[in-house]
Amino acid sequence: MASKSRWADTEEDAELVAKQKREKEEKKRLKAEKARKAAEEEQKRIAAAQAQQAQAEQQSPQSLNEPPTKRRRLTPDQDGGDKTEQKGGKDSEGGGSTGESSAKLLRFEAPTWKPTASVENYDKLNDIEEGTYGWVARAKDLRSGKVVALKRLKLDESTGGGGARAGLPETGLREIQILKDCSHRNIVGLHEVVINEAAATSQNANRKEPIEAVFLVLEFVEHDLKSILEDMAEPFLASEVKTILRQLAEGVAYLHAHWILHRDLKTSNLLLNNRGQLKIADFGMARYVGDPAPPKLTQLVVTLWYRSPELLLGASTYDASVDMWSVGCIFGELLAREPLLQGRNEVDALSKIFELCGVPTEETWPGFRRLPNARSLRLPSASTAPAALTSSMIRAKFPLLTAAGCQLLNSLLSLDPRNRPAAADMLRHEYFRQDPKPKHEAMFPTFPSKAGQERRRRKETPNAPGRGQKAPASVDFSGIFAGREREERGGGFSLRMI
Amino acid sequence: MSHMTNPLATVEQLYGRSTLNALPQDLQDTIFLAMQSLTQAGGLLLRLPQSVTAQANVVLARYWATISWPFVDEFSDISAASLFLVAKLSSHPATPRDLCNVYAYLLSPLSPLFRPSSDPSLSSKPDKTLYYLSEAGYNDTYARVLALESRILCALSFDTHVALPHGLAVTYLKALDFLDVSPPARLAQRVVAYLNTALLSPQLLYLTHQPSALAVAAIYNAAKDLDAKMPECAWWEVFDVDREELGFLVVGMRSVEGAVRAGREEVSAELREGNMITRAGIETEMRKRGMVLGNGPSSGGAAAQLTEEDILMRSLDERADQMDS
Repeated sequence: MASKSRWADTEEDAELVAKQKREKEEKKRLKAEKARKAAEEEQKRIAAAQAQQAQAEQQSPQSLNEPPTKRRRLTPDQDGGDKTEQKGGKDSEGGGSTGESSAKLLRFEAPTWKPTASVENYDKLNDIEEGTYGWVARAKDLRSGKVVALKRLKLDESTGGGGARAGLPETGLREIQILKDCSHRNIVGLHEVVINEAAATSQNANRKEPIEAVFLVLEFVEHDLKSILEDMAEPFLASEVKTILRQLAEGVAYLHAHWILHRDLKTSNLLLNNRGQLKIADFGMARYVGDPAPPKLTQLVVTLWYRSPELLLGASTYDASVDMWSVGCIFGELLAREPLLQGRNEVDALSKIFELCGVPTEETWPGFRRLPNARSLRLPSASTAPAALTSSMIRAKFPLLTAAGCQLLNSLLSLDPRNRPAAADMLRHEYFRQDPKPKHEAMFPTFPSKAGQERRRRKETPNAPGRGQKAPASVDFSGIFAGREREERGGGFSLRMI
Repeated sequence: MSHMTNPLATVEQLYGRSTLNALPQDLQDTIFLAMQSLTQAGGLLLRLPQSVTAQANVVLARYWATISWPFVDEFSDISAASLFLVAKLSSHPATPRDLCNVYAYLLSPLSPLFRPSSDPSLSSKPDKTLYYLSEAGYNDTYARVLALESRILCALSFDTHVALPHGLAVTYLKALDFLDVSPPARLAQRVVAYLNTALLSPQLLYLTHQPSALAVAAIYNAAKDLDAKMPECAWWEVFDVDREELGFLVVGMRSVEGAVRAGREEVSAELREGNMITRAGIETEMRKRGMVLGNGPSSGGAAAQLTEEDILMRSLDERADQMDS
């Protein structure tokens, strides 16, 4: 309402100058006032129509070549701004539409930048985790009293001191950038980034003081899915699995819709708070991609147990489907309470995948033979292999899963990346609509907190491959089915499902 | 939304640039222009895509808005560090050695960047030793770049996100069916040229306006230049730009060329003598103008001439400032 009346005032000013139009405008203004009383909806529409007409009348194409009458206020004093506004009112005879445009324009909220604050604003409560992931602690924000998680960015050893060689690691910077850009309930929130005290205070004094530590101030979440799965006496109920999986899919769908690949989805990177909310964390491997995906992406991503077959076979062009494979592995892990495909190394991981999902053939995965590491792969030929070898074992491995659930898991764990559903499609899957329905988050069971009090246990999962690590030039997969062929010639491929 | 929006400078950040104790505006503009041109040249020689270089320009401008005289770092290092940082985060990283080599060349007397093509030193046979960067020189340069990289990140609170208007502009052109203008590429080229020129604007347009507004203004200017027919209604409102903002940007973008020309003729010729502007050059210029010098951190020069009393007074001032803030 307030803005309405302001428009009306400037209109009047303009009318004083443009005599001809005044009567017409006056009438319409009266009419608008009447309508205002009647209903607000109605009034808006009339005002819009009125402004449009006025604009059409006064449209003068040259007006824009003149210097602008009113500028974005660039000085802090209030008086100056008011003056220019008045001047604008007087000058507006040529292009009087300044005040009359009633189109509702989208105003982007614009954040600003300010010097990084010091970590001294936080009081450390206890360590949560220490090890290969870097250092994470529970801390209290001294200004607001809120409890947060402090994650120390791993700087290379050489970068800590004076002899910096590589600067701040781009993985850490990418993680910061991506978390800053994300805002979703299923993605862990980044409050701010802080640095060590000396570096923070030296910024203002224009002195040089190297950054020794960078901390990410993250939303504190009580549990991670991995340790819950390890410790729980009873497995998750079917309804609880659906809640977790749906939240995971929602988070991943958000990421993919924003052109972000996570590239390290696994249960220890999924956090769960006491209100049943799942949050995707650890974006150290994540990056922005375009469509089509840029070539020459590193194949050294995703922790081995969650790594998709095309990555194992050395694909350097891949897309969101690598994350969907990991989602499939997590789905299986939620059901089985242990990681689905615990390969000891690349070769073992691949043979475990083929054991579970069947050996790829030209029909099930067209073109897989062209992948760099597939050359050394010796598989039973499609014509001679029995159907049991090339078909998936998933149905047999999860006998309690409904047909829809099985179909979803099967599609997530398709060998051919093109057959895996997108996260957004996955959310529409029948599995989530079937009974039992996903359990409401508020009804979710709570778990004794580990991160809250004591130190969290070290993970036994292997880690995501290190940055800058060299991909093995060629992995020799020839051994995978070396013994298998003999087996087959005997009594056929023995099923080990029972 | 983050793909379409940028953080904007606060009024204080922009206003802080023109307070009394700062450098005269024309010197500031000259330095800024030189740094941005140097960054563009560096991006070209490193074969980085313009999308990366342009982002480096914007990051540089943001950092520029947070620092004031006396500057701690050399201007060429600021340029190199912004480029290095942005390239590192993009899919086109530049190796440190390449970066340092390119900047060594650009700052050498053989670089044609800040020299008229008639300069005699360019026509003679190039003496490659002039831009040869020894191992020690490389280590020095790289260490400075890394130190600056973290300073830039700190000043921007680690936010390196830059949304460029170039892609938006093409989308807008398509939406307006402007691409039908024959030949179709000409208008788009002109638009992109305006957007790239605006990166050099001393008005820091990329820090005061969102990409959508920049894209619309560039389209408006390009269409005017090429006499392309524009819709008769207030089409810019479709793209969430009001007439006032558009007017400001249209004038702002058109004025860059003049500003560049004026800067080149007046200040820079004697200031840089064909080289990149340095802090020492600025100090000399200030002394020539008879202006009070800030306590430049560089060794020698002005700082050495200060009496003990001056230093004491300055430290008291600094302490007072700290207490104020």
